[in-house]
Amino acid sequence: MSSYFTLIGFGPTGWGWQLVAATLMTLAVSAAAFVTGAVFGVLGAWAKLSGGRAVRGAADAYTTVLRGIPDLLVIYLFYFGGSALMTSIGKMMGSQGFLGLNGFLVGMLAIGTVSGAYQTEVMRAAFLAIPRGEIEAARAVGMGRALMLRRIIAPRALRFALPGLGNVWQQVLKESALISVTGMLELVRQIHLAAGSSRLPFDFYATGAALFLLLTTLTGLLFRGAEQRTQRHERQG
Amino acid sequence: MDFTFLSDTIARLLPAIPTTLALAGTSVAIGMVLALLLALLRLSSRVAAIVVRLYVFVFRGSPLLVQIFLIYYGLGQFAAVRDSWLWPFLRKPWWCAVLALALNTAAYGSEIIRGGLTSVPLGSIEAGRAAGMSRFTLYRRIILPLALRQALPAYGSEIIIMVKSTSIASIITLMELTGVARQIVSESFRAVEVFLCAGLIYLAINFLLTRAVSLLERSLNPHLRGANT
Amino acid sequence: MTAVLSLQGLHKRFGKLEVLNNISVTAHEGEAIAIIGASGSGKSTLLRCIPLLEVPEQGDITIGAETVKMRTRGDRREPADAAQVNRLRAQLGFVFQSFNLWAHMTVLENVIEAPIHVQKRPRAEVVEEALVLLDKVGLIDKRDTYPSHLSGGQQQRAAIARALAMRPRALLFDEPTSALDPELVGEVLRVIRGLAEEGRTMLIVTHEMSFAAQVASRAIFLHQGRIEEEGPPRQIFADPLSDRTRQFIRRHLDRS
Repeated sequence: MSSYFTLIGFGPTGWGWQLVAATLMTLAVSAAAFVTGAVFGVLGAWAKLSGGRAVRGAADAYTTVLRGIPDLLVIYLFYFGGSALMTSIGKMMGSQGFLGLNGFLVGMLAIGTVSGAYQTEVMRAAFLAIPRGEIEAARAVGMGRALMLRRIIAPRALRFALPGLGNVWQQVLKESALISVTGMLELVRQIHLAAGSSRLPFDFYATGAALFLLLTTLTGLLFRGAEQRTQRHERQG
Repeated sequence: MDFTFLSDTIARLLPAIPTTLALAGTSVAIGMVLALLLALLRLSSRVAAIVVRLYVFVFRGSPLLVQIFLIYYGLGQFAAVRDSWLWPFLRKPWWCAVLALALNTAAYGSEIIRGGLTSVPLGSIEAGRAAGMSRFTLYRRIILPLALRQALPAYGSEIIIMVKSTSIASIITLMELTGVARQIVSESFRAVEVFLCAGLIYLAINFLLTRAVSLLERSLNPHLRGANT
Repeated sequence: MTAVLSLQGLHKRFGKLEVLNNISVTAHEGEAIAIIGASGSGKSTLLRCIPLLEVPEQGDITIGAETVKMRTRGDRREPADAAQVNRLRAQLGFVFQSFNLWAHMTVLENVIEAPIHVQKRPRAEVVEEALVLLDKVGLIDKRDTYPSHLSGGQQQRAAIARALAMRPRALLFDEPTSALDPELVGEVLRVIRGLAEEGRTMLIVTHEMSFAAQVASRAIFLHQGRIEEEGPPRQIFADPLSDRTRQFIRRHLDRS
């Protein structure tokens, strides 16, 4: 037991600082992926709600495909494909050899693209949940499109979207574990390295799981708090 | 479009489909039984409910990859495991993957089933009690049939998620679809084409599964279809 | 006349509210007893105590020759023998206000479910009887229809057939028409009247005063958990002994 605490501690043989750094890295790449997904989500929802046949078709293809193939495959696609792209661009510019794509960028883009498919559906549903009457009232009072979007639609949609977005965030946080296959030093990769060189792999992986549980719980609470704030206008019971 | 390469790739990927399906099928089957047990356990006593909730929290709150690593790399840490009759199973990637996937889907599945159980109309339960049904008969004839019908759509989604999750087994060297794809990539260096082929196959599997679940839903719910009288 | 079921000294409270206060009722063979009273007077609770859907804190429930065995667990009273409770329930036919048909079964399947799985009777015999009952309540052509495709009146008639299929000693109706649209009430009352005229033993909790006046052989008026008055319909409905009864009847008989 004491060896476990030494190993995860902050002493000279301890992995403590590395674990902290890796946890922060996980948070960072997850946040970046989530924001990327949010951008895709807004675009996708907009395409599905107000686009023409072709645009809507493209958005449907996007959400169907990205929700129908494994996330790991998307990461590999971005990682290997991205590197191939970089290498050929590099060759055009005169460099030799293989140019690897930065793990953070790959993770952010890959998971962001997948997350965007889910966020499209969440935002689309949230928009559709806004009572038509409220939008009509805004139009009747003379609000222009931009003003209506900013003052009525976005806030109302946010309230309906938050629960779904909370779920998507949890998904992103857990999926970030898969970025470890690119070698990027986030939490799972760090734990994997530490476990491999110790005699206590179970303890390390269990610690990793516990750290993830901490992350999901704490950020879950944040989302819950935000949900409650946006729902304070609603009657209870 | 190098069609020869593409068709060769698909030909090499096809034999991996049974592996993926077997992995998903076994995990879902075991996970479903476990999920039902967990859902029923949760209703039995306060202590059992806490244990089940803890289980669900742990398996839904941590990444599947960590869970697989825990089982594949982690269990070997304990001499008790290494010396037991389970070890021949637990040192093989296949069984570790099945175990991890089953435990994972059981957590999600139990919540889905629980949702189905709480959706059974109280009146239907009361009518069963008033007719003298024992608890067992009540569950068997009324509660579970209604609960499982209600849970089917959500469980169908969970099965699709499981099929996608099998790709993670490639990380512990299992040669399912993603694993074989990676191998082809490492030989041919044509990553995008190979992975796109693999993606296409996954899409096809999921499409067929979605249809199958829809059909099952429709056949089990004649009482929800439009009136034909 | 033999006593089909008997309640002695029932007391029931929900929290601080005393819903039943020393209620004793005996139903004899062939009697149709109407239980009337204001909302909250305890009438539904009284009826629900009979098949132990509610458990009274004090008092005995006797069905046929058997009294329900009770025990105390901590501060709660509960039936001591679950098998006995289920056995006795199978001797009663309970009809709910909200019908409570099982949605995943057709009308016929609803009717045959308990006789086969609770009473363990042979399927062929049960189905034959069920078809006769469905014909009797006018639903023979709906036997393979699902409840969601039936009107409220049809569902309640199916529920009555389901209760009858158990070959019950007594039928218990808990406000059978209160959840129905007005134009559907008549078809259900017609069926119940027919059963009363056949001589079935039944207890009906109802708001339908004129129906109760015509069909019941005895009426019980509950007020705030106590039996204010009981007697033949010509007494309760036309010339009650108690002022409270008179006021209640006057207020409600005009409306129905």
